[in-house]
Amino acid sequence: MIWIETMVNGVLYGGLYGLLGVGLALIVGVMRVVNLSHGEFIVLSAFVGVSLAHVMPGVHPLILLAPVAVIAFALGFGLQAVLVNRVVTRPDPFASILLTFGVAVVMRNLMVEIFGADPRNLPAGRLAHASTTIAGLSVGVLPILILIMSVALFTLLQLVIMRTRFGRIVRATADNRDVVRLMGVNPGRVYNVVMGLALALASVAGMLLAIRSSFTPYSGVERLLISFEVVVLGGLGTFWGAMVGGIALGVAELVGLKFDPNAGPLYAHLLFLVVVLMRPNGLFGARP
Amino acid sequence: MTKVSRLVLALAGVAAAAGPWWLGDGPMRFLSELFLMLAMAQTWNLLAGYAGLVSMGQQVFVGLGAYSPFVTSIALNLAPFWVLPVAPLVCAAVAAVVALFLFRLREAYFAIGTWVFSEVVSLTISKIERLGGERGMGLPTAKLIDPRWLEPLTFWLSTATAAGAIVGTYALLRSRVGLGLMTVRDNDLAAASIGVDVWRCRFVAFVLAAAGCGLAGAVSFAATLYAAPSLAFDPNWVVVMMFVVLIGGIGTLEGPIVGVIIYFTLRELVTVVFNLSAGWYLVGLGLAAIGVMLFEPAGVWPLLRKRLGGDWLSVRRQPPATQPIGGTAGDSAAG
Amino acid sequence: MTLLEVDALDAFYGDFQALFDLTINVDAGETVALIGANGAGKTTFLKCLVGLIETKRGEIRFAGEPIGREPAERISRLGLSLVPEGRLLFASLSVEENLTMGALNRRPGSWTLPRVYDLFPVLRERRRQMPNALSGGQQHMVAIGRALMSNPRLLLCDEISLGLAPLVIDQIYASFARIRAEGASIVLVEQDVKRATSAADRVYCLLKGRVTLQGPARGLARDQLSRAYFGA
Repeated sequence: MIWIETMVNGVLYGGLYGLLGVGLALIVGVMRVVNLSHGEFIVLSAFVGVSLAHVMPGVHPLILLAPVAVIAFALGFGLQAVLVNRVVTRPDPFASILLTFGVAVVMRNLMVEIFGADPRNLPAGRLAHASTTIAGLSVGVLPILILIMSVALFTLLQLVIMRTRFGRIVRATADNRDVVRLMGVNPGRVYNVVMGLALALASVAGMLLAIRSSFTPYSGVERLLISFEVVVLGGLGTFWGAMVGGIALGVAELVGLKFDPNAGPLYAHLLFLVVVLMRPNGLFGARP
Repeated sequence: MTKVSRLVLALAGVAAAAGPWWLGDGPMRFLSELFLMLAMAQTWNLLAGYAGLVSMGQQVFVGLGAYSPFVTSIALNLAPFWVLPVAPLVCAAVAAVVALFLFRLREAYFAIGTWVFSEVVSLTISKIERLGGERGMGLPTAKLIDPRWLEPLTFWLSTATAAGAIVGTYALLRSRVGLGLMTVRDNDLAAASIGVDVWRCRFVAFVLAAAGCGLAGAVSFAATLYAAPSLAFDPNWVVVMMFVVLIGGIGTLEGPIVGVIIYFTLRELVTVVFNLSAGWYLVGLGLAAIGVMLFEPAGVWPLLRKRLGGDWLSVRRQPPATQPIGGTAGDSAAG
Repeated sequence: MTLLEVDALDAFYGDFQALFDLTINVDAGETVALIGANGAGKTTFLKCLVGLIETKRGEIRFAGEPIGREPAERISRLGLSLVPEGRLLFASLSVEENLTMGALNRRPGSWTLPRVYDLFPVLRERRRQMPNALSGGQQHMVAIGRALMSNPRLLLCDEISLGLAPLVIDQIYASFARIRAEGASIVLVEQDVKRATSAADRVYCLLKGRVTLQGPARGLARDQLSRAYFGA
C-alpha cells in the first residue's frame, strides 16, 4: 500500500519535474540553445518569492506565483536580448552553453554573497503537509495541486504554441530563422519572448519546489540536471513527452528514497543513465 | 622547438627540482596548486579544444583520483604517494566504460550527461560508510609519511604532473591519433569521410584526459590527507578548469598556461588584495568567461601571440612539399 | 516605370566575392529571367535583394527607395517576396499555416487564401497536411502561394522547376499568367534556358557573378546564349 502511495506521490511530483523541464525543452526546441543557467534562475525565483513573502507576510505563497512569474519573464527576456542573442547565430554549438554556464556561475556566487548559503524555504502553512484520502490512499494535498497546475500550464503552453498566431510564428522561427525574416518576423524578438516564457514556467516550478523542500544558492545544479534529464527523457520536440519524463523521474526518485532515504536524486539520475544507454533518443523523440 | 625554448625549459626543470630548497612552504603550496590546476586544465583543453568534447562532469575523475589511492593506501598499508599510479588507471578504466554510453549523446547532451554521471558517483560514494560517507575519510597511513617531505613531494609531483600533461598532450597531438583528433575538431563529418575513426580518436582523448585529471586529483588530495565527496566531486573543479581554458585560449597548448596565470592572479587579487570573500573571485571568473565568449572566443593567448610573436608550443604541422607531377606549375600533388 | 534598379552591386561571402558590379533592372509589369549555371550567383543575387545577405557596395532601389542596407524583416514589407530555392517551407506548420505565415506582412491586394486555393486547387484539399506529406510540385505551389499572400509587387522565384516533372512545371508556369494579371512583376531564376526565355520578357545571363548577356527574351541566338552561359 505504501508503495502505491509513494508511486502516486511520485506521479504527482513528476508533474513538477515536467514543469521544470518544459521551459528548457522550449528553448532547446526553438533556438537550439541549452541554457545552463536554467537552474540558477529557478533558484533565483524562489529567493524572489521568499523575499516577497517576507515583505507581504499575509499573502499565501501560491498567490505570489504570479508576480514571480512576471519577474522571471522579464529576467529571461533580458538574458536573451542582452546576452544569448549574440551567440545564437554562431555556428559553434558550444558557444551558448559556455556563455550560459558563465552566467550560472556568476548568478550562483552572487546569490551566495547576497542571500547567504543557509537553507531557505517558502512556508505554505498547513498546505505543505495536508493530506487527504482518495480511493483509500493517502495523498498530499499539495502534490495534487501541483499536478493540476502542471497539467493546466502544459495544456496552456500546448494551446499557445499550436493554436495561436504567436505560436505559429514561434514554430516557424524554430523551423527556419532565415525564411521567417522574409515574412517580417525578427527572430531575435521571438527568442526574447520564448526565453521569458521558459523562465516564467520554470519559476512556477521553482516556487512550488521551494514550498516542498528547502533550497540554497547551490540548489540550481540539481534543478538544472533534473530539467535536462526531463528534456532528454521526453525526447525533443514534444511537451507531453517532457511531462512523462518528469513523471518517470519523480517516481524513480520517490520510490528510491523510500528504501534508501539518503539517496537524494540518485535514482532519478540512474534512471536517466539507463534510459540513455538503451534509447539515446529519449522515450519519444527526435534525436538530441 | 627552438634552442631558446629548450634552454628555458631546462632551466625551469632545474629550478623546479631544486624548489624545496629555495622556496618556502607557502610559495611551494601555491605553486603545487597552480601546477595541478594547469594539468587539469590541459586535460579539459584536450577534450574540448581538440576532441570537441565538452565535459561538465570532469570532476568525477578528480574525485575518483582522490579516493582510489586512499583506498589502496589503506588496503596495502603503504604511504599514499607510492600508490598514486592507481588513480590514472582507475580513471582510465572508468572512462573507458562510461564512454560507451555517454558517447551516444551529442554536444550539450554529452556535457550534461557527464555531469549527471559525476553526481551519481558522488552520491553513491556518499552512501558508502567504509569510505566515510558524506563526511569523508582521512588517511590513517598518513603516519607513514615523514611530514617534512610532504610539501616537497607534493611540489615535485605537481610539477611532474603538469609537465607530463603538457608533454603528453603535445605528443598525442603530434601522433596519428592527434592528427585525426584535429580533423575531427574542425569538421567531424569531413573527417569521417576521409577515413578518420572519429569514435576512436575521441575515445582515446577521453580516456587519457580522465587519467590525467585523476592523477592531478590524486596528488591534490594526497597532500591534504583528506577526501570528502563534496570536495572531491565539487563541480567547481570543472568550472575552474573550463574557465581557465576558455579565458586563456581554447585549442592551444599555451592557452591553459595563460589562463591559469590569469585565474590565480584574479583569485589573489580578490581574496588577498581586496579582501573579499572567495565567492567574488568566482563571480569575476564567470564574468571574464562571459566576456570572452561574447567578444574574443579564441581567448587571450591568440592576442598575446601576436604581441609576443611566434608560437611556443604549436602543434601545427608543415604540409608536405608539393611536387608537380609533370603538370603545370600550380598543380598541387595533394590534388 | 522602373520597379527595381540594381546598380554596380558587389556581394561577398566572407572574403569570397560572389557578385561583381551587377547592374540589373526590372520594370513594372515585366517578367525578367535570370539564367546561368550552378554557382553563377543567381541565388546570391536574390538573397541580396531581400536582405538576407548584407551588401556594402552598390545600390539597390525598389520603387525608388534604397533598400541595399535594410534588414530582411523591413524589406519584406515593401513588396518584395521570395520563393526560396529548395522551397524551404516551415516543416512544423501545415499547408494552410504556411500560407498564412506569408500573410503576416500583407500589403493591400487581391491575393487571399481563397484566391491562392483557386490558383492551386490541389492545395485546398491538403490544407491541413504537413509539407512532407506533399509531392515536390505541391510543395512548390505552397512556396509560391506563401510568397503571394503578402501581395508582392515583385515576386522573386528561385529555381522553381528544379527536380519537378515537366507536366508539373507546366502547371506552375501556367499560374504565372494569373500572377502577372494581378499586377505583380516577376524575376525568374532558372537553369532551364528554354523555359525561362519562353516565360519572360527580358533575360539576363550570369556567369561567375557577372552579367554576361542581356536582352529581349526571344531575340537571342542560341550560340550567343551558350557563350554567355558557359563562358567562351
